[in-house]
Amino acid sequence: MIGLKHYLFLGGILFSIGLFGVLSRRNIVGILMSIEILFNAVGINFVAFNRFTHPGIPWGHGFTLFVIGLAAAEAVVGLALVLAIYRNSRTVLVEKLNLLQG
Amino acid sequence: MIQATIFYFLAAMILIPALLVVGLKNVFHSALWLVMSLFGVAGIYAMLAADFLFAVQIIVYAGGIMVILLFVVLLSGRPSDWAQRQVNEKAWAAGLFSLFFVAVLGTTLSNWSLIPKLEEPKLSTGQLGTLLLTDMVVPFEVVGIVLVAALIGAIYFSNRKSS
Repeated sequence: MIGLKHYLFLGGILFSIGLFGVLSRRNIVGILMSIEILFNAVGINFVAFNRFTHPGIPWGHGFTLFVIGLAAAEAVVGLALVLAIYRNSRTVLVEKLNLLQG
Repeated sequence: MIQATIFYFLAAMILIPALLVVGLKNVFHSALWLVMSLFGVAGIYAMLAADFLFAVQIIVYAGGIMVILLFVVLLSGRPSDWAQRQVNEKAWAAGLFSLFFVAVLGTTLSNWSLIPKLEEPKLSTGQLGTLLLTDMVVPFEVVGIVLVAALIGAIYFSNRKSS
């Protein structure tokens, strides 16, 4: 029987995979992809808690919908920024972007 | 039994591509594996009786966001960049921290119990629509404003003259 714990474990493992990606990738696009993985882990947890504690009142679904909408906004702005950065400094590796270091 | 089979299949379909997304050298391949992982998450939403989120996940994530990501992967960088090292020098510390995070979450979860309310799942799209236009109407409108702001910001940043 698959219960709430299974979904929470899945969300937790997925979250830490995304966390590893955010902390270890050098490429900005790779970091943005890892952030998308984090959003999905959180979405699984929201929907699982909604299903198993308050079935019939889809507040968790609504919050996950907002997370998806904000992820779309974040992806659009972030990727436009990546393109602008690449146009100016010809690199997408984060350790080469030290314009503010003086 | 069949539920468990589907769950573990979907979990493998999410976690193995997610590991490849953070581990592969080639960013283009990472993006393609991310599509697989997002489809798995959509399957999990379907298992949890979130029918509207299932559709939204496929349309917005696997359709919209992934197309933008692939565009940017192809526009920023040459194919020769995809063969170079993709993790920084502190990747081992990041790996240790992630393992620690999983261990803490695992021990916390295995000592925790909750009696779930199991009811027969119903289709939630209609209820979600009612909820979005009654109790959640303020965040709903705010998301609209944020999306317009993101649109204007993206046009501003990708405009050649302004940057």
